[in-house]
Amino acid sequence: MSTKGASLKGLLLMVLLVSHMLLTKEGVTSLPICPNGSVNCQLSLEELFDRAVKLSHYIHFLSSEMFNEFDERYAQGRGFIAKAVNSCHTASLTTPEDKEQAQQIHHEDLLNLILGVLRSWNDPLIHLASEVQRIKEAPETILWKAVEIEEQNKRLLEGMEKIVGRVHSGEVENDIYTPWDGLPSLQLADEDSRLFAFYNLLHCLRRDSHKIDNYLKVLKCRLIHDNNC
Amino acid sequence: DLLQWPQISKCRSPEMETFSCYWTAGNFYNLTAPRIIQLLYMKSNEEDWKECPDYVTSGQNSCYFNASYTSVWTPYCVQLASKNEVYDRKCFSVDEIVLPDPPVHLNWTLLNTSQTGIHGDIQVRWDPPPTADVRKGWITLEYELQYKEVNETKWKELKPRLSTMVPLYSLKTARDYEIRIRSRQRTSEKFGEFSEILYVSFSQIGIGCDHCTEEVEFPWFLVVVFGVCGLAVTVISVMLSKQPRLKMLIFPPVPVPKINGIDPDLLKKGKLDEVNSILACHDNYKTQLYNDDLWVEFIELDIEDPDEKNRASDTDRLLSEDHLKSHSCLGTKDDDSGRASCCEPDIPETDFSASDTCDATSDSDQFKKATEKEEDLLCLDRQDNDESLPSLANTDPQRRHRNTQSENSHQWAPFADSVESPRPSVNTQISNQNSLTSTDFYAQVSDITPAGRVVLSPGQKSKLGIAQREGCTEQNFTMDNTYFCEADVKKCIAVTSHEENEPHVQEQSYNEDSYFTTESLTTTVANLGASTAEPPSSEMPVADYTSIHIVHSPQGLVLNATALPVPDKEFNVSCGYVSTDQLNKIMP
Repeated sequence: MSTKGASLKGLLLMVLLVSHMLLTKEGVTSLPICPNGSVNCQLSLEELFDRAVKLSHYIHFLSSEMFNEFDERYAQGRGFIAKAVNSCHTASLTTPEDKEQAQQIHHEDLLNLILGVLRSWNDPLIHLASEVQRIKEAPETILWKAVEIEEQNKRLLEGMEKIVGRVHSGEVENDIYTPWDGLPSLQLADEDSRLFAFYNLLHCLRRDSHKIDNYLKVLKCRLIHDNNC
Repeated sequence: DLLQWPQISKCRSPEMETFSCYWTAGNFYNLTAPRIIQLLYMKSNEEDWKECPDYVTSGQNSCYFNASYTSVWTPYCVQLASKNEVYDRKCFSVDEIVLPDPPVHLNWTLLNTSQTGIHGDIQVRWDPPPTADVRKGWITLEYELQYKEVNETKWKELKPRLSTMVPLYSLKTARDYEIRIRSRQRTSEKFGEFSEILYVSFSQIGIGCDHCTEEVEFPWFLVVVFGVCGLAVTVISVMLSKQPRLKMLIFPPVPVPKINGIDPDLLKKGKLDEVNSILACHDNYKTQLYNDDLWVEFIELDIEDPDEKNRASDTDRLLSEDHLKSHSCLGTKDDDSGRASCCEPDIPETDFSASDTCDATSDSDQFKKATEKEEDLLCLDRQDNDESLPSLANTDPQRRHRNTQSENSHQWAPFADSVESPRPSVNTQISNQNSLTSTDFYAQVSDITPAGRVVLSPGQKSKLGIAQREGCTEQNFTMDNTYFCEADVKKCIAVTSHEENEPHVQEQSYNEDSYFTTESLTTTVANLGASTAEPPSSEMPVADYTSIHIVHSPQGLVLNATALPVPDKEFNVSCGYVSTDQLNKIMP
């Protein structure tokens, strides 16, 4: 009897622990799709934006940390300086560069731009996750973050498409997109060149994720809170 | 003085809309006019260096870039130069150099106080820095609050948070506090400057408790010290106390596994006498079927195994001196009848001290005990007909070999005495036997007296060589001893007949035969009989191996009359068992 009770307690404890772990994962809480429980429910725009902002913040946080770790680990001795960041493949997309421009741009255009940037990063992130594993003695944290960023980017893209579907009055434009051709540079034989390519890619990633995070916050404050966050 | 070049000390953007760069002039020029040093900047998407648009707004040795010159995610390079040379250069993008201004408008309100009035909770509020456009979401800030008592030196920190208000709990109303806050962009690591210090004084709002007594802190240290001392004293007193019950209650003894019946450790240590006694004294260990096959099988196994010597020396121990000693020292009665030794009801505990003291006993005692041992050997028929028995029996021969020759002389003499004592006839040997106590499973017949009595001994055949001469003549075969060692008989007879001619040869020839073959037995007995007053009677060939008809009390086995084909002498086997009937025919 005592063993039975003990095993039940253990099982309960396990369940509690696991559920706690799952529920408190930072930044990526699995929110219920339909909080009210009804079948044909829809998330409010506010909730959609909340989730999008959380995701974008999380992605930027991971990118920032990943860049710092890579910098510490590989770039210090080599004297990398981020090249003129024109080398970022998304530089061709004209995005708002200051607050005024961000405030003046129409929210639909801004949303499309965000979507365009996210789509443009889909491909590089996949290759980043796979190529970073080939770096000699890559720390586990960098590897994990690369994979995580790629996953979360996909989720954010889905979320943004939903938002765009709600917000857009007209048709959704899908043509904002820049292809990425940096894969060969990630596979260079020379280790220094290869690491420099990674360094730049991670620098670009950090920058772009910050952009997206900012734009989304601006949009959220503008559309949801009426410029009164 | 060290020469210090002009250096760009830092570039900073407080709100991600403008930014400024600061530098140090160094002591390069004694009469440096500020304008000689220029700050040039270049955006990444442009190609030439431009001069700083505003040297004034941010103070001396600074350059201010207003909103029109600032592009947030665009890389900049700035360099400090004079006409001819470049002193320093820095490249960055504005989003990387964001360091917000400190929060403003700090204030606090009282939430509540404790019942005693000694402690109180307050809520601290502030506003974000005015330059940061938090409302439109252009920048997201988080804040870190630090507080301390006025006369303390170390600040306590709270975790950074997004909200612009935070409660502080359990502040002492008798003391005054200082609070300061700083902010940073949410995804950055560096904080901006601290805000102005906010002073919290409860007495100002009339809550302070001047006459309140200082709350005494719980004397944890004293509690721990005294607790440990008391526990130590208790433990020591318990351990030293003579009260076994109390001791057992607090320090219960670790139970040793004890199996009812056989303790395997006994077997390991070779304390077979205990094992024997255990087995013997249980009624349910009665011998089971005594098929011819059973014994034959066992014996045959024994025969076929040439490697007997390498087996466990349990039976060796059975027949060894040590075994004798330990057994004999167990307090068995020195009774010539021999029954006492078999019939101890108690399982003797292994008492090493007792056995050690036995070493001091005189030889004569040893002999007596040895003889009793012989009786015990006879008691083997009471033993369980286990598989262990044959194994034990099988190892008898080896054991005999191992015994030293020197022991021979010791062992021969008393045998006669002991062997003579029990004299029930062969047919009646079945009955009237008490339970065996510790006995050996198998015994070797070391000799057959001219009188026809079989002398059992744990000794080796090698013993036979020397002592044969003496033993043969002295010893008598008992009718009760159903186990006969043909080899012994052979030797005995051979010795007596050959008059010390090459006793060693005899020995060697019978080295492998612990027991007499029936053939040899008959011959030897016949010889014996010829040389002694009591001639052996029958010449009926006795089988080397016979099946046991009945296993009886210490007297021995009653073997079936059916005899197996007699193996050759070269067939080195353990002793063939002779049936008592046959033996009767053999000997008087």
